[in-house]
Amino acid sequence: MARDGESRSYRRKFCKLCFDKVDRIDYKDDRRLSRFVTDRGKIVPRRISGTCARHQSQITEAVKRARILALLPFTSDQYR
Amino acid sequence: MKLYETTIIFEPGLEEARINEELDRVTQPIAQAGGEVIEVQRWGKKKLAYNIKKRRDGTYLHIKHKSPATLIAEMDRRFRLNESVLRHLTVLAPKESPRAAEEAPGAEGAAAPAEAVSTVVE
Repeated sequence: MARDGESRSYRRKFCKLCFDKVDRIDYKDDRRLSRFVTDRGKIVPRRISGTCARHQSQITEAVKRARILALLPFTSDQYR
Repeated sequence: MKLYETTIIFEPGLEEARINEELDRVTQPIAQAGGEVIEVQRWGKKKLAYNIKKRRDGTYLHIKHKSPATLIAEMDRRFRLNESVLRHLTVLAPKESPRAAEEAPGAEGAAAPAEAVSTVVE
């Protein structure tokens, strides 16, 4: 059995926020934040999204603040 | 005094006049305590991502202000007591970004607070 990694074409992940030269992620910017949240409302881990450490920690803080203000869900119960 | 950002979510049913009244109730103590209201944003009625107090929408108000730290605690207490406030959040407004400082070298020390605010808005 061939390992999955060998057959799959591999593309290096990059931090999309660094690419866009985003300096600071705002908790009020729910449109941008929603790209880093799964459809269940979970924060997408770095290993999936490829964001750098600096931006990931900004995302985490911003998402948590946005959740308090009901701009983003804590959880989505559409999938039950 | 530090620069803060306060966001308040009111009940969706409140009239404009009532919102203004509530806004005054926030801004007046700031002025009295020697602070300064820098910006008021009315985001209007927005859909909530989840229900709060069985409401699906809320009227958002965003205030950028300079206040003494003691007032923040008092503000928090008042919001809690206020029944028409569904949710509130006060955070420190971000300082001027290091990247913006890079772009204007040497201007770091001279950067006015007003400048810092404008970089934050975006």
